[in-house]
Amino acid sequence: MTSTLENRPDTDGAVRTVRVAIIGTGFAGLGMAIALRRRGEDDVVLLERADDVGGTWRDNHYPGAACDVQSNLYSFSFAPNPDWPRSYSEQPEIQAYLLATADRYGIREKCVFGAEVTGARWDDAARQWVVSTTAGEFRATVLVSAAGALADPTYPDIPGLDSFAGTVMHSARWDADHDLTGERVAVIGTGASAIQIVPAIQPQVDSIAVYQRTPPWIVPRTDHPVKPWMQRLYRWLPGFQKLVRAFLYVVREFLVVGMAKRRRFLQPVGRLAKAHLTRQVRDPKLRAALTPDYTIGCKRILISNDYYPAVSAPNAELVTAGIAEIRPHSIVTRDGLERPTDTLVLATGFHVTDLPIAERITGREGRTLAEVWADGMVSNRSTTVAGFPNLFLLVGPNVGVGHTSMVYMIESQIAYVDDALQTMAAEGLAVLETTPEAQRAYRELIAAKSKNTVWLAGGCASWYLDSHGHNTTLWPDFTFRFRRMTRRLDRENYVGTPAAERTPEVAA
Amino acid sequence: MTSTQTRERRTAAVRTDDGAVLHATIDGSDDAPVTLVLAHGWTLSQASWDDPVGELVPRIAAGELRLVRYDQRGHGRSTWAPGDDDPAAVTIDRLGLDMGCVLDQIAPRGPVVVAGHSMGGMTIMCLAAARPELFGNRVRGTLLVSTSAGELGPPAGTAKEKLARRFAPGLVAVAVGGARVIEGLRKLTPPGSRQHQKIVRGLLYGADATDEMVREGAEIMHATTVRAFAVFYPALGDHDKRTELAALARVPVEILVGTSDKLTPVQHSRKLAESLPDAVLHVEPRTGHMLLQERPQLVVDALGRLLTAAADRVAA
Repeated sequence: MTSTLENRPDTDGAVRTVRVAIIGTGFAGLGMAIALRRRGEDDVVLLERADDVGGTWRDNHYPGAACDVQSNLYSFSFAPNPDWPRSYSEQPEIQAYLLATADRYGIREKCVFGAEVTGARWDDAARQWVVSTTAGEFRATVLVSAAGALADPTYPDIPGLDSFAGTVMHSARWDADHDLTGERVAVIGTGASAIQIVPAIQPQVDSIAVYQRTPPWIVPRTDHPVKPWMQRLYRWLPGFQKLVRAFLYVVREFLVVGMAKRRRFLQPVGRLAKAHLTRQVRDPKLRAALTPDYTIGCKRILISNDYYPAVSAPNAELVTAGIAEIRPHSIVTRDGLERPTDTLVLATGFHVTDLPIAERITGREGRTLAEVWADGMVSNRSTTVAGFPNLFLLVGPNVGVGHTSMVYMIESQIAYVDDALQTMAAEGLAVLETTPEAQRAYRELIAAKSKNTVWLAGGCASWYLDSHGHNTTLWPDFTFRFRRMTRRLDRENYVGTPAAERTPEVAA
Repeated sequence: MTSTQTRERRTAAVRTDDGAVLHATIDGSDDAPVTLVLAHGWTLSQASWDDPVGELVPRIAAGELRLVRYDQRGHGRSTWAPGDDDPAAVTIDRLGLDMGCVLDQIAPRGPVVVAGHSMGGMTIMCLAAARPELFGNRVRGTLLVSTSAGELGPPAGTAKEKLARRFAPGLVAVAVGGARVIEGLRKLTPPGSRQHQKIVRGLLYGADATDEMVREGAEIMHATTVRAFAVFYPALGDHDKRTELAALARVPVEILVGTSDKLTPVQHSRKLAESLPDAVLHVEPRTGHMLLQERPQLVVDALGRLLTAAADRVAA
């Protein structure tokens, strides 16, 4: 059975019914759809709120946007790209890769663009998800949320922010038409986005003030252009590119030893970062302000060769005093200094521990995922939640990684979801739901693995931890262990309802 | 009037006519009746003014004063100009022109008081020689701290002087060429080390300096590149403005110096005062070259008198 969905939202308001509905078209949504298509599952729709595929890599097009993981690793295993121009790609190249991959597997024709999911409700009688979007209503047997963790920007709660008369831009909602030349620019935040934006715009602006709460640890970026002969080699010998990918994976996985097992193994990384800072920043006061007071790895380790030079540039200032208020044309810090400001760049991150999509998904008992997760996100294998039958979460709780490719984790989850769907088909199940016991066990496993990690014990606050101080975002172990756990569906942790069970009732 | 406790701050990059980019910090409102511009000394940065500047904060917050600090080329966050690749091309005269660029771009109108410490004082003398028209109506007061109008090197004609003339360029070239190696050696005695502080104290500070002062000063100097040290060393020896101080004589001048100053000893300030008969000379006992740190109140008081005089002339 194939559906006859159009790319464009239709206007007649008819409800469309599919077997699988996927929310989002980033790496996760595309990867899921491709996996389904490759084994002939065509009754799929991808609901995308924007007007093209790409997700996080489509939205984060601020100047300097680039990936912190080598492209040979940060790409689909089934779609190697011999033509990556740099070892670490920039946003336009990654977005182009996603577009090309979507086209190669014919995924675009399965997408409905301009379809922001406003609500998804489990209809227990029909055994279907009812998904309301800005492009009409959909009914789906299975709902895969691939909405992502870096999808919805957070805005800081600073008095007077609304009164600011100049331009305000979040890093993930960059206005490329706004010319910063000659402007006095303030950047709030010093995370992964900020340290890419600051060096990209510093040479162009009149002056730049970087408002820092906690300095990040920064290590050198070993980025370099990929030589044409190397690209040819990748093309002729795909196995060689696979080998490079495997090598990068293994090297990066060593970081887990330091972050999650024995923290002293992080010491050399800390020394490397400190030497990097010493080499690039001479001013003793600036250097002190840029030196973190927590263990490296506690917050995400950033990589950059041009952030430190940019904040030490003649037209730059690092402000550490803390913002007291924002006025229409200036920012006032707690030390009483008022800096005239034309444009305000908010590099303040995303809703990660409070995923907005969770407020829109309502389960069997009429409670939203956000309500169920009020005391912290829980799940079985980061993918399913008790009370939410036939719902699979990609890039959900405890699947994040700071040290290696997120795509590796996504592909692990995709295999798991795919196996679940095949199990449902093989057993003739209409409903598949995980158990609270499995969820509890997984929560305890995560807690036990997290206990001695640098994220909990490294002496910092980070977006990895929720408001209760629990790790609900990161996978706290080697990533190959996650892959092993999600290779096959753990059938024993699920309750399945056969499709046939209903038939007698209907017949009666 | 909104909350009076806040004061404006701006960071500015000043591009000089020969392509250096100077890092400047501007505190206070553009409407303030007078602007104070501070120039720092050799191997230091604008941070060397931090102690006296701290005392000026209330005046800035009250809107009475606008303060401009900047890093001299090759120091702090300021860059060199492309032409500075030839060390022999770098002169104190050039620093005077740089200060002119700072005035033109950051304080293009209204009365100004300038203050310079050590090489910063020489910078002001060079500005006065190069652009005398600025002094009088625009620049209305000058503070010279621990500085000299010339003859810092050995007296001309002596064997020592001939030796220096002969070998200095080569030594500078070696220092600039081997800067990386020297930087590496410098790391062996960081500013926190006892040995490092002992040397710095002996050379630059008077008897009353605290360890904290010495450490702070040592850290600022340690941040300066070997290149800045080497390139400006002969430039300081070549500085001679003893016969070109006429423009300075048109404005109130105060001269401060410590009796224990080894780099620019007291007689240099005495000679300056002789050339500028109306200047006020203050010789402070038990004080070294780092007078800004050692006697900040002395500096603030002198600045206060000059600023008041400058503002009074505006009112008049």
